[in-house]
Formats: sequence, C-alpha cells, structure tokens
Amino acid sequence: MPVRSFNLTREMLDHSFAETVAPDREKLLTCIQCGTCTASCPTAYAMDYTPRQLWRLIQVGLRDEALHSQTFWLCTNCYSCTIRCPRGIALTETMAALKRLAIAENVKNREKEDISSFYRAFMTTIRRHGRNHEAEFLARYYLSTNPLAALKFARMGLALFLKGRVPLLPKEPQNKQEIETIFRASLALDQAKEAHA
Amino acid sequence: MKYTYFPGCSQETTAFNYDRSARAVMKALDHELVDLPDWNCCGATGADVMSDLLSFALPARNLAKAQALGDQIVTICSACYLNLFRVNSHLAGDATLQENLNKVLGEVNLHYEGDVRVRHLLELLVTDIGVKAIAQRASRRLGGIRVAPYYGCLVVRPYSEFDGPDLPVSMDRVLTALGATVVPYAMKTRCCGGVLMTTRKEIGVKLVGDLLAPIRDVDCVVTVCPLCQLNLEAYQREAARVVGAPVSVPVLYFTQLIGLAFGLPEGELKLTANLVGTDRLMKRLQQASGWV
Repeated sequence: MPVRSFNLTREMLDHSFAETVAPDREKLLTCIQCGTCTASCPTAYAMDYTPRQLWRLIQVGLRDEALHSQTFWLCTNCYSCTIRCPRGIALTETMAALKRLAIAENVKNREKEDISSFYRAFMTTIRRHGRNHEAEFLARYYLSTNPLAALKFARMGLALFLKGRVPLLPKEPQNKQEIETIFRASLALDQAKEAHA
Repeated sequence: MKYTYFPGCSQETTAFNYDRSARAVMKALDHELVDLPDWNCCGATGADVMSDLLSFALPARNLAKAQALGDQIVTICSACYLNLFRVNSHLAGDATLQENLNKVLGEVNLHYEGDVRVRHLLELLVTDIGVKAIAQRASRRLGGIRVAPYYGCLVVRPYSEFDGPDLPVSMDRVLTALGATVVPYAMKTRCCGGVLMTTRKEIGVKLVGDLLAPIRDVDCVVTVCPLCQLNLEAYQREAARVVGAPVSVPVLYFTQLIGLAFGLPEGELKLTANLVGTDRLMKRLQQASGWV
C-alpha cells in the first residue's frame, strides 16, 4: 500500500512520543533501521508502513502519522520481530501500546474501527462470563461491525457447531464476580496512572 | 503424578478434542491433569489492547489460585502458556508492576509474587517424562507416516524456555521416536494469522496458504495450539487458491497422534471432532504398521 506524502513541519513533531508509547523508550531510540523486523513480519506485505518505518516515525516523533497507521492493527502478536531484533527492543509490546493509545485518542480509520471492535467484543464477553463464550463474542463483533460479514464464516461455524465445538451456553468460573472486580481495579489504576502522567 | 491443569477457554469449546486427548495421553502415562478450580480466561490476545495491567491481572488470578495446589501449572494452549509465563517474566524485574498487580489481586484477597512455574504440556512431556518413556508406552508404531510438525508462535516465542524460537525440535523428537517420518518444515513457526482470520480474512487465508503450500505430500499436520489447529484445518478450501491446488490434509493435535500410537480408542481422542476427516490417515496407519 502506498504511503501518503506530506510536507514535514516542526509542528508535526512530538518529541515525547517515544516515551508515551514504548515500554522501553531508551531501547527504541537505538533502532538502527536494519529491517530485520520487517523481513520477519508475516503481515508486513499488507501494511501501509512496514514495522521498520513505524519505529522511525516514533523515533522522530511523527505522532499522528504513526497513530493513524494500520501497521499495529495488523500485528498478529507472533513475536518474530521481537526475538530477532538485534537491539532487543520489545517491539510486539510496543505494537500493543500503540493499539491502546489509538483507542484512547479515538483515532478514526478503518483498521482501528474494525479490529478494535473485535477486541472490545472479546473483552466484553470475558468481563461478563470470566471465560470466552465464542458464540456471544462473535455475535457481538459482527453486530458492532458488519453483520453480513458473518456469512463468510457461516459454513465453518455450522461445521464446528455440528462437531460439538461451539457450545450455546457459556461456561463460567465459580466466583465469576471476582472477574468484574479485577477489571474495575485494573482500569481504575490505569486511570490514576494517566492522571498522574 | 498429579499436575495442576489450566484448561483455557478454547479447550472447553473449539478445542475440546485437544483437551480430551491430552488428558487421555497423560492418564496412559500414569499422570493426571487436575483442573485448577475457578479458573478464568488468560486474556488471550485481547487484554493488552484494553489495559496493560489487566493483561497481567487476568492470568495472575489463576497463578495466585494455583499456589494453593503446588508450585507449577500446566497448560496445552500456546496463548495461555504465553500469558501465564509473561506474568512471571515481567514480575521478576518490575517493582511497580508487583505493587500494582497485587493491589488488584488484593481486591479479591489474592497475592502473587511469581512463584508458580508455568509449563506447556509439550515441554513437560519431553522434559519430565522423556521421549524414551513415551516411546516405551507406545503399543504400536506410526509406521513412517509423513508428518509436518507445526509449532506456531507462542509456545516458543518470545519465551524460548525449552526449545528454539525458529526451528524447534521437541515435538519432532517425540513423533520420530513413535515411528513417524517427520518432514523438514521450514514454516514450522511461521504465524497462522491468529485472529486476523476473523478480522482480515484475506490476510489470514494468505498466511494459512503459505503454511500449507510446501507440505502437500504429508499424511497429516500436527499442532500444539488450538487457534493454529482451527485456522489450518477450517480454511483449506479458501487456502487452495493460494496454494494453487486443492488441499485436504488432516490437522491433528500432537496429543491425538501420540494417543493413536499408545493404542488409545479413537473415541477418547475425539478424532471425529476434527473438521478434515482422518479416514485416509487411519488407513495409511493400518497399511504402514499392520494395525487392525
């Protein structure tokens, strides 16, 4: 996919961006642009910015350009880049941090809308039941995005159902209410941290 | 011996055949997987998108509860393995995380400092039980059937605790000892697409096609992860376009194939729950090994 061109101005640069987004800022700044991450990435071919280019955007502080990229939404968490990075940068965890920030800042683009809806549907299901309930999770996802897209999976879903692999009723931990407590306490501490920063 | 077992969500649903075959194989080896009571989802690949702290707190609740039962926990799912292992790994050098995590766990009267050893069943089999003992338990040989060993990502990355991150061999060794011909498979740790199969199907199908293309002459693919198994077997029709030829290859859990070598009944291994039929594979095994 072609990367759009733009005129670089001083106002576009946010020099604290690396600090905001990278779990280990100091290391990310040592990225030598070798491209091992991109060469190792199974989905780089479908990204607008390759992983290597994304790290460069973060290094120079092109915050908006990085946050609007589809790159981190297409990261499958395979950790190939992370284990091969000669600088030892926590690249996969940086991809996750970018997802969180794009959600927090309400970035608008197709990848973010679609794929963050998927994760939201998943986490809503986990919060309600303490465990995944496949049928509810996928219903939530398709209803929040494109219900017709579910048709692409209808044949496979039916096959799994007939094999007894998609139970209709959720299975839950005995002390399910503890899960809600853990969600609430974690999110409250996150907010306290943000307010502090 | 009794091992505390963390089933994980998939093993109650889409991968119940993995769960049943793992229990059956361990029982045949005179060990028992005892479910962790009251367990919850490990967060899969979704928790860290919502909150970094939550991505530790969800798996840590399970680890904290496991402490009462012993000093280790076994799982068969690669994502559960990663998420549980990651808690210990990060807690070790991060005082802030220790404090915040235990503030959250304290709300449900739990405490955790990273003391429960996290194990994948594959690691436990090759480390504690040993390839030799597994081969001795086999009541029949796999007769040289050709097997592609597919490990996927998270069982060996980023925590390469018991095997290499690119070209692991632990499962190869087990299957070879049981009489299978394990084919060289350069894609054995390339990603199956994970959840992109649902959110960006065209990418998921491309990745699965890339995995299936080089192994068209095998009798089966063997996996250690519930999501890899599903992606590899459920989208073969679509992946055929990437491969450039029809694809129909059974995708078994490694515990199912070990169970067959142990002579366990097919019903216990839940082979009929696999989407791609195993009739041809069973016929090959009967011919190659003289099974009845």
